Amino acid sequence: MNLARKLAAKLVTGLVMIWVVATATFFLVLEMPGNPALTQEANDMQHGMSPQQAQAATAAMFGFVPKQPFPDQYRHYLWQLLHFNLGVSIAEEGTPVSHIVASAAPWTVILASFGIVFSFLIGVTLGILTAIRRTTRLSDGLTLLGAIINGVPVFVIAILLSFVFATVWAIFPQGGTVSVLETPGWNAGYIGSIIIHAILPVACYTLAGLGAWQLTSKSSVITVLGDDFILAAELRGLRPRTVARYVARNAMLPLFTILAISFGLMFSGAVFIEDVFNYPGLGQLLVNSINNKDFPVLDGAFLLIIVAVILANILADLAYPLIDPRIRRS
Amino acid sequence: MTISSLALSPEQLHQALQRSRQRSTRRWRLFVSTPGRIAASVVIVAFTLMAIVGPYLYPKNLPIDTRNIYAGPSLAHPLGTDFEGTDVLALLVTGSRYVLFAAAIAAVITFGTGTVAGLTAGYYPRLAGSSIMRVADFVLAVPGLPVLIVLLTIWQFGSPLAMGFVMGIFGWGGIARAVRAQTLSLRERGFVEAARGLGLPGRRIIFTELLPNLAPYIGMNLMLALPAFIYTEVGLFFLGVVPYTTSNWGVMLNNAVFQAGALTSTRALSYLLSPLICILLITISLVTLANAVDEFFNPRLRRI
Amino acid sequence: MAAGAKAAQSQPAQSQPAQSRTGEHLEGSAAVRVRDLTVAFRTPEGLLPAISGVSIDLARGQITGLVGESGSGKSTLALTLLNAVPDPGQVTSGSVTVDGIGDVLALQGKNLRRVRGASIGYVFQASQNSLNPLKPVGKQLLDLARSHGVGDLRGLVREARSLLDDMGMNAERVLASYQHELSGGMRQRVGIAFALVLNAHVVILDEPTTALDMLTQSSVLEIIKKVHARRHLTTLIISHDLAVIGDLADRVAVMYAGRIVEDGPTQQVLASPRHPYTRGLLTAMPRIAGDIGEARSLPGRPPDLSSIPRAGCVFRPRCPLATEACAAAEPPVTVTGEHLFACFVAAKDLS
Repeated sequence: MNLARKLAAKLVTGLVMIWVVATATFFLVLEMPGNPALTQEANDMQHGMSPQQAQAATAAMFGFVPKQPFPDQYRHYLWQLLHFNLGVSIAEEGTPVSHIVASAAPWTVILASFGIVFSFLIGVTLGILTAIRRTTRLSDGLTLLGAIINGVPVFVIAILLSFVFATVWAIFPQGGTVSVLETPGWNAGYIGSIIIHAILPVACYTLAGLGAWQLTSKSSVITVLGDDFILAAELRGLRPRTVARYVARNAMLPLFTILAISFGLMFSGAVFIEDVFNYPGLGQLLVNSINNKDFPVLDGAFLLIIVAVILANILADLAYPLIDPRIRRS
Repeated sequence: MTISSLALSPEQLHQALQRSRQRSTRRWRLFVSTPGRIAASVVIVAFTLMAIVGPYLYPKNLPIDTRNIYAGPSLAHPLGTDFEGTDVLALLVTGSRYVLFAAAIAAVITFGTGTVAGLTAGYYPRLAGSSIMRVADFVLAVPGLPVLIVLLTIWQFGSPLAMGFVMGIFGWGGIARAVRAQTLSLRERGFVEAARGLGLPGRRIIFTELLPNLAPYIGMNLMLALPAFIYTEVGLFFLGVVPYTTSNWGVMLNNAVFQAGALTSTRALSYLLSPLICILLITISLVTLANAVDEFFNPRLRRI
Repeated sequence: MAAGAKAAQSQPAQSQPAQSRTGEHLEGSAAVRVRDLTVAFRTPEGLLPAISGVSIDLARGQITGLVGESGSGKSTLALTLLNAVPDPGQVTSGSVTVDGIGDVLALQGKNLRRVRGASIGYVFQASQNSLNPLKPVGKQLLDLARSHGVGDLRGLVREARSLLDDMGMNAERVLASYQHELSGGMRQRVGIAFALVLNAHVVILDEPTTALDMLTQSSVLEIIKKVHARRHLTTLIISHDLAVIGDLADRVAVMYAGRIVEDGPTQQVLASPRHPYTRGLLTAMPRIAGDIGEARSLPGRPPDLSSIPRAGCVFRPRCPLATEACAAAEPPVTVTGEHLFACFVAAKDLS
């Protein structure tokens, strides 16, 4: 079937993209100043390891052995990747990168997911409102506000929110995931503290994404409202609620493609939000690892982010024909 | 003279042009009459002048005054001072050149590449379309900031030219998609078919027929993209991952937050807020103007 | 949105008062009676009329054709019959009385909604997407039924199936299809089915054959004839194509710049057109059995809203017979039997 072939093609393209990124990262490590792998090996030998031991240690850390012939290095690297072995951290001696990355990931994903959901709900509601009441002053004002919020950089939002609500009016804590005073576990104090600490970062994600949803849904609704079949529906005497449902389902289509893009943007935002609010997520991991020159961790975090984004895009591509029958066959 | 105007007789053409000129004048007056838009234009012009002329007004190395760090606003220092006692206003003005220059370079690269890619993909969909779009999709899908951070490990793109270049290379995906979509739809319109029927070469059609119709759309997107570039570069400096030689707004923010601890106390407030407010002003102005351009050219959004 | 609104009583600004076309010349027994209708649009240049003082009858059981170039106001007239003038337009005067319903322009809300579809059916052009692209046709049929409070859904579907079969389509397949899976001709036929399935007695077809190829055109025309006869409908066909009107319509009305310039039995109007515009339209059509050089197109272009002449006959700028009298006032309606027209020169010729 034509559709199955198309979807398979998209899947293959996605896998190819992941492969391209993995390879690029491989070359990136080679290009890094002072070839960190070689440096590490030299370091190890200085500390008294035999050449073989040094080689093995470096191999464990970076996923490949520096002095091996090129293609072998590459093969070794890919092999390690397929086994989810991302090497070992430099800064935290001996800790596997995959552990570090895996413990950081949930903080980012959970916070950002809440942010995406809230920004979607609020943004689309405002968008529909401004589309229906298009000629009013309120709509113009809200649209302009949405456009402005859309343009304001994430870190500006983060700084302002942090400053106003954590410093000036100390309602919320400055940063961190949870108060150190609470004992970890499923008790109200701990969970409550996590939630309080999460409010400002989630608000940042929400505000950052709000504008795009509002503006896109507004223009989408306006476009659909002007479509022939809506006029036809009204001329056929369809109930207002039915017409509204027709409008809604058609207007939501373009929003779906934005969902995939916003997933990628979430990681860009995470870098800033976690920096300002001191959240130990993937974003902070990226920044810290580059400042610590902890290249294996940088690699690992980066790879995870890219793969996640590409996977999300593939999923969105695969799911789109399900909601738009026009794409199903052709 | 475009194909679309060839269908009328000379008198009708004259009448139509006259009427369209009257309509354009009326719309222009509506366009400029809103005080918000006038203010927005003034702001943009002011910042551009600041970027071009400003640094010449100050000495190369700004004076330090270690007795006067993190001072609040005063007559001598209208926006206060930083961690070395340098005047914040001076820092703002001299820092603006980097910020706006890099953004401009990024815009040129993004829009140059994106428009060419989009036009080609849209006009020759069977020859080049899908392969160009696949590359564009890849560029679009990759999350910009993490990529830039990783790239920094091998290339410290601190200079405005390099920064602009890097931002531009990773930013053209969206524009290519949008331009291609517009090109595809315009391509089916009568006047393009007429031009092809007349035997005009593809390149000529693209330049004389398609580009003028796309220009307002591209212009509007350009105005919306500039804040995004400013955000990216200032953000990178804010994170402290890019080495800097001269001060710019991102560096100011970085110092304010992480050295002065401006987030934890009200000290150095003006140091923190000044670059923020500048960014906000530019963003708001560009968004307002982009809105105005959209309303001007897009008949569906007109209020009447 | 096309919500019905009570006729605003404001006069259109900057245009001369419409000639008394209160339709005294028309009888009162037609199924649809339009009297002195004026519809104006708010523009930057003020309130401009798209239809001015129009009176027309749709006789019961007959097919009436409405001919005009784009911009003549024919589509606006059709929408007004359903009280569906889009923003920024408004009805500034006149009435549309439909047998058994009363003045459509006085209806609002649920009453208006019920009339649309159940009493008056509207069929869109084939090229337009008149169906929800995301739902199968059959489901939309059910939506239609539920919106009109139809109790016997199965009966309605059966009715729809027989309509579709009658029109030469595979009803099962069509009801299961999405709009993009249907060809232009099929879409047109589905549109006709949707307009008739609730047993409307007045049907309006807007450009039913435009954007269709010749073979499909002819089969759709046959279907319209058949359906009209079988259900004893009152049909209004709007077209710019005189040939289609000539083939189908019992009466034809010619519209120009928002006014009806000629109106009469089709054979009479086509054989002996009185108004110079109608004559021009006929001369512009090349005959199959004639030299194409004989066909002469009308000079100039039809006016848009803002360039309709504000004084005198609206056709004067393009009329080869224009006199001084034509510049002074709009011509009154001259009636000769069932044939009426509005032209100073033609009226003088007659007498």
